Amino acid sequence: MRVTMRIRRFNPEKDQKPYWADYTLDQVEPNDRVLELLHRVKWEQDGTLSFRRSCAHGVCGSDGMRINGVNRLACKVLVNALDSGDHVKIQIEPMLGLHVIKDLIVDMEPFFEHYRSVMPYFVNDDPLPEDGRERLQSPANRAQFDDTTKCILCACCTTSCPSFWANGDYVGPAAIVQAHRFIYDSRDNAAAERLKVLREPDGVWRCRTIFNCTSACPREIEVTRAIAEVKAAMRRGVKHPDPE
Amino acid sequence: MATLVTTVTETLRYRGKIGQWSWVLHRVTGLGTVLFLVLHIIDTSWAAFYPDLYAEAIAEYQSPLFTLGEFALIACVVYHAFNGLRVTLLDYKPEWWAYQQRAAAIVFGATTIVLIPTFGFMLSHVADFYGEDPDLVSVGDIIETQSQFVIGFVAIIAAALILSALYGLVSRSRSGFVLPGRLEAAMWLFMRLSGVLILPLVFGHLGMMHVIQGVFDITGGGIEVVGTDIVNDSGKAVEFVGARWDMLVAGVAIWRVYDALLLALVVIHGFNGLRTVINDYALQPLINRALNWAVVFGAIALIVLGTAALLEGVDETAYDIAVDINETTASAAY
Ligand code: HEM
Ligand code: HEM
Ligand code: SF4
Ligand code: SF4
Ligand code: FES
Repeated sequence: MRVTMRIRRFNPEKDQKPYWADYTLDQVEPNDRVLELLHRVKWEQDGTLSFRRSCAHGVCGSDGMRINGVNRLACKVLVNALDSGDHVKIQIEPMLGLHVIKDLIVDMEPFFEHYRSVMPYFVNDDPLPEDGRERLQSPANRAQFDDTTKCILCACCTTSCPSFWANGDYVGPAAIVQAHRFIYDSRDNAAAERLKVLREPDGVWRCRTIFNCTSACPREIEVTRAIAEVKAAMRRGVKHPDPE
Repeated sequence: MATLVTTVTETLRYRGKIGQWSWVLHRVTGLGTVLFLVLHIIDTSWAAFYPDLYAEAIAEYQSPLFTLGEFALIACVVYHAFNGLRVTLLDYKPEWWAYQQRAAAIVFGATTIVLIPTFGFMLSHVADFYGEDPDLVSVGDIIETQSQFVIGFVAIIAAALILSALYGLVSRSRSGFVLPGRLEAAMWLFMRLSGVLILPLVFGHLGMMHVIQGVFDITGGGIEVVGTDIVNDSGKAVEFVGARWDMLVAGVAIWRVYDALLLALVVIHGFNGLRTVINDYALQPLINRALNWAVVFGAIALIVLGTAALLEGVDETAYDIAVDINETTASAAY
């Protein structure tokens, strides 16, 4: 099949403003991934096309971009999931809400700043258990935050959120997902401090329950649910199924 | 950090699912209703304070332009109410998130189901009205009266901007208007609680004013006023309001209590909603502060005005003046 790639290009050293450029590729297989098509454009037609990628297997979270209007990982989307037929058009642009450095590469620093603001690490200064090895946890308590451990920080969710587009100070769904992972961990002791950060006006209250983040997450994390659970933790505290 | 324009255009371009459109509609319908509410509370206060103006306002409500607006308003309130329930439900039952798309579709369906018979009743009121070959207020007159509101809003916002600029100079503050986190949490809760309370109140109010009787029956002479056992002898709008506010059940003026509840809940809910929208898009500190001040001032002013009208009521003199003035203007005009 033939594919026309319509890509949003921008080189701050040369261009006044971003523009659309078309690249036509032949002999594309329906089960090619969009990342492979981007490679072909870069390797066969225009070496200046810039984008991030690393693992190419949906693990590192570096190739989040807007593909046919929706945020996804280029390495996880097959052409046949977008369209079928002899001639397919695919539109690709950078994620919105973060500053574009070049072509599809955005400045992730504000995103990581929000990530760091929720203390995304395990906090527990209690003495180690008797055997000095492991802080044990019941399966039910572990299950409480299982979903939010899957996040790969690709920013697909945060940059799909109209609240974040409007106001980059909103911590955004990814940071809340990360906070959820620790707030609901029965072994962690810093839930109160994280909730304090998220209770601020730029915290969870900016979420309007739009669900764009949930549909965008390539890891199928139930993002909006996690956000609602964090809001619930603010109202009635964190409860774990089993006593520790 | 996209600009306001990009945010709006990209919201339309981003291919979010039904949840995104539910949110856009929730916002638009909420804002539309707030706009109406501001005019409505000011108008209604005239029934107590400027009966002649009230008669004119109701005459404008009965003009074709406002009839169109009335249909839109009803659609806005019904959709917003049902979607508000959906949002509240998902806030309290996060584990139901998987049904959110279906819930959004149900909201659209339920809105349609409620609107069809409602519009049917409203259309029959409209048909009755036009069957009697009524006198209509001209579009020119409507623009003239309503433009005064626009001037008023612009003046308030301009005043707020000037005050905010002065405040900025004196305090050297670089931040907008920020509620402490705890208050923000309280308002979040209030939005849900008040929404659930407003729903029956506003549906009841709209039921009385649009289904059981129509906007046109407010000036219906010889008709028993909805929710009362009092007949509107003169067919004057102020008598309609007076009848409702003076209707006593076991010594309690039930419709005044009802209106007071509706007034307080809806104004705080609507204006807090306005505040969240402002804080999403108006980030420049000077402007943010000014608009927030205008919102706080506006909400307080409307509650004071509405309460004053409810306390004052429509007394005999006001009613007589209205009859007089209407007769003189009527004979002068026609
Ligand atoms: C075109 C549609 C509407 C009509 C014709 C209408 C009619 C009236 C009338 C005649 C009154 C006078 C008091 C009474 O009879 O109880 C009133 C009061 C009131 N209405 Fe409406 N109404 C409409 C829509 C709404 C909506 C959508 C809301 C809520 C958002 C609302 C909120 C109120 C409040 C708060 C009062 C009390 C005002 C005060 O205390 O001064 N109305 N309305
Ligand atoms: C009839 C029952 C109502 C219910 C159940 C309801 C529910 C809600 C809820 C839950 C929200 C919060 C949405 C969020 O934070 O994501 C909201 C927002 C809002 N409501 Fe209502 N509401 C009702 C009536 C009204 C009325 C009568 C008005 C107008 C006076 C109004 C104006 C607004 C506005 C302007 C917002 C802000 C929208 C936004 O942030 O996008 N609501 N409503
Ligand atoms: S659910 Fe909340 S965080 Fe997710 S896209 Fe919507 S507003 Fe943004
Ligand atoms: S929650 Fe999902 S979409 Fe958001 S950063 Fe993590 S993996 Fe990416
Ligand atoms: S390249 Fe690593 S997730 Fe796509």
